[in-house]
Formats: sequence, structure tokens, C-alpha cells
Amino acid sequence: MRRPGTDTGPTDIHSVYVRSLIRSQLRLALICAGGFVLATLVFVVAVVAAPGLDGAFIAGVPVSWLLLGFGVYPLAISIAALYVRAASRNEARYRSLAEDE
Amino acid sequence: MSPAIGYAAIAAVALVSVLIGVYGLRISRTTSDFYVASRTVRPWWNASAIGGEYLSAASFLGIAGLILLTGAGGMWFPIGYTAGYLMLLLFVAAPLRRSGAYTIPDFTEARLESVAVRRVTSVLVVVIGWLYIVPQLQGAALTVRITTGLPSWVGSVAVAALVAVVVASGGMRSITFVQAFQFWLKLVAIAVPVIALLLVTGAVEPALPPAEAFPASDGPGALDIYRTVSLMVALLLGTLGLPHVLVRFYTNPDGPAARRTTVIVLVLLSVFYAFPTLFGLLGRAFAPDLATPGDADALVLVLPDRLLPGVWGDLLTALVIGGAFAAFLSTSSGLVVSVAGVISQDLLGGSVRGFRIAAFASTAVPLVVAFATEPAGLAGSVGLVFAFTASTLCPVLILGIWWRGLTARGAIAGMATGATLSGAAILGGALLTAAAPAIRPLIEQPAAWTVPIAVLVTVLVSRADRRRMPRGTDAFLARLHLPERDRG
Repeated sequence: MRRPGTDTGPTDIHSVYVRSLIRSQLRLALICAGGFVLATLVFVVAVVAAPGLDGAFIAGVPVSWLLLGFGVYPLAISIAALYVRAASRNEARYRSLAEDE
Repeated sequence: MSPAIGYAAIAAVALVSVLIGVYGLRISRTTSDFYVASRTVRPWWNASAIGGEYLSAASFLGIAGLILLTGAGGMWFPIGYTAGYLMLLLFVAAPLRRSGAYTIPDFTEARLESVAVRRVTSVLVVVIGWLYIVPQLQGAALTVRITTGLPSWVGSVAVAALVAVVVASGGMRSITFVQAFQFWLKLVAIAVPVIALLLVTGAVEPALPPAEAFPASDGPGALDIYRTVSLMVALLLGTLGLPHVLVRFYTNPDGPAARRTTVIVLVLLSVFYAFPTLFGLLGRAFAPDLATPGDADALVLVLPDRLLPGVWGDLLTALVIGGAFAAFLSTSSGLVVSVAGVISQDLLGGSVRGFRIAAFASTAVPLVVAFATEPAGLAGSVGLVFAFTASTLCPVLILGIWWRGLTARGAIAGMATGATLSGAAILGGALLTAAAPAIRPLIEQPAAWTVPIAVLVTVLVSRADRRRMPRGTDAFLARLHLPERDRG
């Protein structure tokens, strides 16, 4: 198994690019997953901690129930949309590096 | 409600599914068509088909029942079912498509260059598929009993027989059409009744005043932290390993299309789950008498007739029965396709004839299990299947895609550990909780400890086995992550 730095041939430069693409895609995925977990946590704690949401009713249902029941989905969709753009950007950056070679 | 409505709705859905299945037969000719629909499916079609396949009895009936029974805690199920696709998008979607493998066993074999890994993965895919079909058949039994008055077994047998025939005759190409159709049918079948009921509830007196229907003791603040976290681990990570969902990703033309498909699935599911959630909320105000473990899952079927007696109520009831049946048929047939695919490739030589034999075999086994076991709550039993999947296939998939150090022995050790621990919690749960009541939450929601242990074992054994790292690892990882145009 060759490692980056032990050789400076063109194939090795290429494999450095590949590894850096994989690393940046992994970092992006972990940030997005962590962001979703954190955002959900903050949202739920806010719903539970905010005073009066259990006692305020819209159409006979407490606001706290409505927020938990419908509020997390937009978070997931927004993070998904951001991820797709960023992942394509990572791939475009790899492509321009690989073509410069 | 009159049994005639039940018969008519069930017969109509069955007929349409068979017709579409037979129509698909004309198009699917070769083995490749059978397995992956020749990879020509567009993102919107594919996303609808994934939604159709994924929304099972647990989603259509179970969520409303659980919100009625337990309150806001039940809302975490649809949140997890949906957010699982976010995890799938982040960690699996594009690389899995780029791997070029047909099934999960194909993927693990190619990645780890080991036939033994393939065998273990195949066994797990078959077990997960069977475990997941059982609640579908039990949901069918409940629906048939409630709506027609026939004995429960009729529902299970009818769904099993239909699925076996449709899958064996059409293969996956036809199933893509059927599944996409089923998603939109299910959405209409649950959205129209909810909207109609919301319009009439102004004129009907709720059975309970709001403060009693939605007490704070059942509200968002009353959640059990361990159970909720463990459930979310199971649902978020379990989705990654569902064989009938993953097989759909091979039908995307390329990696970016796989990502687009997944985002569309997230949107479709978010829209869909608003309606069972509303059904559950309506149930708490208007049908609190159904809040018993045996009856709660029937809420969606019963409520329209209660709030809107007469012909309009009958029509809405027919619609929800049709939607429920679509849910059992589509999820079961998706599972049977992937289970039969694995059985026929690994045992019967991968021929079309072998696939047909396998399709019949893979519906018969869950049918026997459904008869032999007592039905539990639908959402809960599907949740346990997710915990099992999250502890077995998910670590191997994620580590296989992102970590060069994974070895065949590490993968097998991790899958065996995860399967043993979560399998023991699921099967031996009643015995274990009776012996030690203090660990009841750990047994009933095992994912929070079984998944980390499975991952740890996989990593440690792989490290110890470092010298046996597959020779093609770097090339394979490059293939998974490089954009299509640059792979040469």
C-alpha cells in the first residue's frame, strides 16, 4: 500500500486528490448529520422549555404538540438541500484539480 | 360500517396492482430487467417508488394509533422514519449507486473481496426482509377483520398470495410502476379523509375537552430520554440498511441522480407523515375510547365512519381501506423482491425461474411466522426491525464506504455481534425483562447500545486483522466517491 509522500509520481498525486475528496465528503456528511441532531435537540428543548406552549391551543391542539409533530421535517429537508449543493461542489473542486494535472 | 365497502376497496386495489404487474411483464424480459429495471428510472419516479415501498402498515395505520395511545412520544416515529433518509443521503446514496453492485451482498463481496462476507450479508438480508414482512401481514389481518368481519387469517393469506404472484410474474420493472402508483394512492387515501374530517369537526362535539385530550403528561415534555434517543438511533441508522430501499438506489442513472432522488423522498415523506400525525391528533379528541393496545391501530380505518356517518363516510372508509391495503402490498412486494433476489442469486443460480421459485418461498415463511406470533403494535414491531438492521448492516455499509481499514473478518465479527445482541433483545425480550425489570428500557429499545458495540467490534477486529486488508481497497473507494465522468 503506497502512502502519499513516499513517491512523487503522477499516479500518487492523483491518489492524494482522491483521498482528499473522500475526506472532505466525509467531513461534510458528519457536519450535516451533527447539525441535524443538534438543531433537532435545540428545537425540542426550546419547545419543551418555552412557557405556555402546552396551554396555548390552535384548533383545540396544544402548540407544543403541533411544533413537535410538524416542525422537525423542514430542518431535515433544509440540511439535505444544503448537503447536495456542498457535495457537488466538492466533486467539482476535485474535477478541476484532476484536470489541471 | 358495511362489509361491502371493505370488500370493494380491497378488490379494487388488488385488481389494479395485478393489472399493472402484468403490464410490466411485457416490458421486463431479461434477468437484468428483473433485478434493477435496467437503471433507467428517473428521480421523481424512483422517489415515488421508494416512498411507495417504504410507507408500510406501520406508517399508514401504526403512527396514528401510537399517537392516540401514547401521545406526542408517537410523533418521534415518523420523524425518525423520515430523517433516516437524511442519513441515507449523507452516508450511502451516491457511493452505493457508484459501486455498481445490484444488492447489499454484491456490495459487501465486492468491497471486501470475500465470499464469506457475502454469505453472512445474504442471511441478514433474508432475515430482515422476513422480519419486516410479518407486521405487514398482521396489519392486513387487522384491516380485513375490522372492515369485513372475516377471520384475520384471510387478510394475511390474501396479501401473501397477491404479492407472490405480482413479484414472480413481473420482477422489479413492473414493481417500479406499481410502487410509484402505490405512493400516490396512499397519499391521497390518507390526505383526503383527514382534510374532509377536519372540515366536519367544526360541527361535531369532541369527546374530550382539549386539556384532557392532550394532557401535558402525554405531551412533548414527558419524553423518556433514553427510549427516545435509542429509538432515533434505530430509525435513523436502520433506514440505511433496509434491503428493499437500498436496491432502489441501483436504479438511479448516476450518483447525483441518487442524491436528487433521496432529497425528493425526504420531501414526499414529510408531506405524507403530516396526515397520519393529524389522524392521531383527531383520534385523541374524537375517539379516546379506541386508545387500547389492541384497537389503536384501527383508528385510521374507523374514524371516518364515526365522524361522518352516511354515504360520504362510507366513501372515505373505502379510500382508507384501499390505502392501507396498498401499504401492505407495496412494502411486502418490495421486500419479497429483494429477499427473492438474494435467495435466487445465492442458492438458485440467478435465473429468472429461480427468482420465481424464491419469490414464492420468501412470502411463505413470513406467513407462517405471522400465524405463529401474537401481533404487537405495528409501529413498535417495525421499530425493532430497524434496531436489528441498524446493528447489523448499517455499520458494515458505513465503514465499508468511508473507512479503508475495514476487513472481511471485522465485518463478519461486527455483523455477528450486532445480530446476536439485538436478536437476543428482540426474541428473548419478555424473558429478560421478567428476570430483571430494571433493564426493561435497554431491552425494549436496544439500538443505543447494540449499534455502538457492533461498530466497536467491527473496528477492533479489522485493526487486529490489518494485514488482510483487501488489495483493491483504494481502487474500490475511488470508484465509490469519484464523480462519474472521471472514472474512465
